Amino acid sequence: MSRLRDAVAAVEQVILGKPTQIRLCLACLLARGHLLLEDVPGVGKTTLAHTLARVLGLEWRRLQFTSDLLPADVVGVSIFDRVTQQFQFRPGPVFTQLLLADEINRASPKAQSALLEAMEERQVSIDGVTHPLPEPFFVVATQNPHEQLGAFGLPESQLDRFLMRVSLGYPDRESERALLLAGERHELLEATSAVLNPAELLAAQRAVRAIYVGAPLLDYVQALVARSRTLFQLGLSPRAAQGLVRAAQGWALLAEERALLPEHVQAVLPSVAAHRLEQRDGGGAGQGARLAAELLAAVPVPV
Amino acid sequence: MKLPGPERSGALLPIAALFMAAAINAHHLAWWCLPMLALATAWHLRAVLRGFPQPGRLARISFAVIVTTGVLLSFRTLNGLAAGATLLVAMTAAKLFEARTTRDWHVICGATLFLLLAACLDRQELWRLPLYGLCLWLCAAALRSLAGGAPLPARTLLRESAAQLLRAVPLAIMCFLFFPRLPGAFWAIAGDEEAITGLSEEMSPGRIARLSESDEPALRARFDGAPPPPVQRYWRGPVLRDFDGFTWRRHRDPVGRTAALEYRGPAYHYSETLEPNTHRTVVALELSRPPDAPLVTQSADFQLLSQRPILQAQSYELTGYPQAVSRGELAADARQVDLALPPDRNPRATELAHQLRARAPDDAAFVNSVFDWLRRGGFVYTLVPQRLGRDSVDDLLFRTREGFCGHYASAFVDLMRAGGVPARVVTGYQGGEWNPIGRFLLVRQSHAHAWAEVWLPGRGWLRADPTAVVAPERLSRELLQFGDGFGSRASRLLGEQRWLTTTLQAWAALNAWWQDDIVGFNFTKQLNLAERLGFGDRGWQTLAIALGAGMCAWLLWIAWTLHRLARAARPDAITRAWRRIDRRLARAGHARAPHEGVLAYCDRLALTQPVAAATLRPLARRYAQLRYGPPLPAEELRGFLRAARAYR
Repeated sequence: MSRLRDAVAAVEQVILGKPTQIRLCLACLLARGHLLLEDVPGVGKTTLAHTLARVLGLEWRRLQFTSDLLPADVVGVSIFDRVTQQFQFRPGPVFTQLLLADEINRASPKAQSALLEAMEERQVSIDGVTHPLPEPFFVVATQNPHEQLGAFGLPESQLDRFLMRVSLGYPDRESERALLLAGERHELLEATSAVLNPAELLAAQRAVRAIYVGAPLLDYVQALVARSRTLFQLGLSPRAAQGLVRAAQGWALLAEERALLPEHVQAVLPSVAAHRLEQRDGGGAGQGARLAAELLAAVPVPV
Repeated sequence: MKLPGPERSGALLPIAALFMAAAINAHHLAWWCLPMLALATAWHLRAVLRGFPQPGRLARISFAVIVTTGVLLSFRTLNGLAAGATLLVAMTAAKLFEARTTRDWHVICGATLFLLLAACLDRQELWRLPLYGLCLWLCAAALRSLAGGAPLPARTLLRESAAQLLRAVPLAIMCFLFFPRLPGAFWAIAGDEEAITGLSEEMSPGRIARLSESDEPALRARFDGAPPPPVQRYWRGPVLRDFDGFTWRRHRDPVGRTAALEYRGPAYHYSETLEPNTHRTVVALELSRPPDAPLVTQSADFQLLSQRPILQAQSYELTGYPQAVSRGELAADARQVDLALPPDRNPRATELAHQLRARAPDDAAFVNSVFDWLRRGGFVYTLVPQRLGRDSVDDLLFRTREGFCGHYASAFVDLMRAGGVPARVVTGYQGGEWNPIGRFLLVRQSHAHAWAEVWLPGRGWLRADPTAVVAPERLSRELLQFGDGFGSRASRLLGEQRWLTTTLQAWAALNAWWQDDIVGFNFTKQLNLAERLGFGDRGWQTLAIALGAGMCAWLLWIAWTLHRLARAARPDAITRAWRRIDRRLARAGHARAPHEGVLAYCDRLALTQPVAAATLRPLARRYAQLRYGPPLPAEELRGFLRAARAYR
């Protein structure tokens, strides 16, 4: 428990003034979900992703997505070896514990889907051979919402594979001041060391699943999902409902609770539901948060 | 496995119960038994906590063989309460070596309950009651800890099992009152006679270097009217007639009834509770008519003998006649026994007796002259006399000149017999402490006394107490408290502290009540009670009706309790309670939005109403735990409901 607290504190050292977002990101990773960071350039998305990787003590790689990126650049390629007279598999950057996929919406759909397949299956199939990905395996992707020129927006079926979408937003006044005073974030990042070791991370992930979910909470989640299906044209999928419970469990673990409370579901719901709702409902970018709030207000808490 | 934290402390309860049960049996266990149990427990804990290996099968079997041999060596038997209890403790300790499953622990708890039963069978003193109760409580909590489900802290287990035991108390009382008791202590297991202190069937004054003062009670007498005056409080025990020059013993062969007793003078009717003794004598006020009890007879020398060993405290209804006299002639065989002296022993005493007898005109004068000689001889009364040689009487009379009642009674009877007067030693008790709270006379082992009886022609057997002559202050001064001068520690303190007197007397009275009305609650008393409660007077049937009626009432009560608990434990009770709070808050103008979680609501309330939020928050926390969390004990729920009702 205290290790988790340390981890949160360590990330907060680097990313100033964003405690809620940091907790959401950690909850997402503890719930074994992939994370999508969406915001304008320069608010610290990449820094946050770096910090998370370092603090969680994960082996990580960064992959800059561009329009000419090929699937083989992501997952790897089989090359014919003249000496052994056999094809040999050269693993791509996806074979790591934490993959930082920068500006994912700038790559072609083909490259995107190669990555998204790996995210879902946690394995890569090339030439009929299946290569399992390391355990744990996370994808932290970033994208710019406004930079639409030359960008291929992720289709909703693929957005669904991200457990959460988190927006950082501009820092508040004090944090910005502190940021200006402190200077280079990169140096700080270099100085950040791992707080959790792999065993502790695994234990934390197990602890997330052990968070008690009572019948009233399941009732509540089901009511939310059902309401989303009547409130909007396309509601939340069963996978979204599953993710909602899991992400809320991760939040509950960070809040040091033993049981899931409605407050935990409410805390993670905007991040879990917004990117799934806004495109389906045609609300457009930035409208997801409003839709999520609308949904929460429409469903009474089980008392 | 890690050290059990507070939430797992319940796992230690079975061991605690076992230790408690062994401790209350400590008085009759073999000395090696408790240390061995401690050792086995230490080993077990080490194995569980540190992963230390448990002994293998061969080691366990050898251990069992060794402890069984140990019990045989210590007790020479495996039968009986003490040997059985020791074996049980030892084998339970062995069981600790292989205790892994819940079933093993159930076996250990069962053995623990048996040990408690053994202690209850063996000792029933009042002061042990809290210990037995505590042991039972631990056992119940231990069994509760084995009942499965999540491990609970010891405090919770103890609280819950206390509630369970309290619910069972009416049942226990009913069974106590109405379950038919077989007359007589059928569970009294023979053995352990050597453990009982007090009078015995022989007396060797010369061997004793120090007389211990035991405050243990010997008997209690509750008189119908006033008790007899202190000088008449002689309680007759074993009569010792055979003397070998050093030791006095009981005469084994029955000698013909020589004299009829004439009961005359004031009569004192009393009920006596006699503590266990080894000499099978119903120690009674001199001289008491034999009681109605079937197995008690009066011997020719006026002892009341029980045909059965007195292993449990017994009650008798008796009538004492301090002025009773014996009439008629002394039979020839009895005279022979009461004049017998070992040849060639105590020559100087024999010579002295001959001289005094020659000077005296008759037997009565001879008795008086011996008294005179003792009175003038400069004899000293002491509880720590010097040891005496083979000719114990000569040694006492002419060399050491100090001793206690046994010495003087022995020497006096020797002189009497040497002078041709039939005489014998009577042992028993003298005196007794009057308890004004319980209105009974308490005779302690420290009141033990020995005196003499002489036969005078025409007057029959007469009591002659040489100790009264040698040390008159011992008997005359406040007989009430000092008896034969074996002043007990308690009675010495009594003289100084008034409140202590009262406390001790109250305690003694409480003990008397416990012994007479609780431990001694027998079939007759049961029938009387059932009849008084209006269940008729048809013996066994009466009790069956009373028991049945009581059981029905108890079952109804239990059913009602269960129903009430079940209703309170329904989950919607939580919801109802919170809705009440919601309504209250809404009336106060702080309505919670329907989609707002209760804790989030507290946070919002804290912005505007910090005080109200501070009082509400603990309640909201408990509510959230109960409503959304894993199932909690019913106590938590009831506690929350109480707090919710109390919320303003």
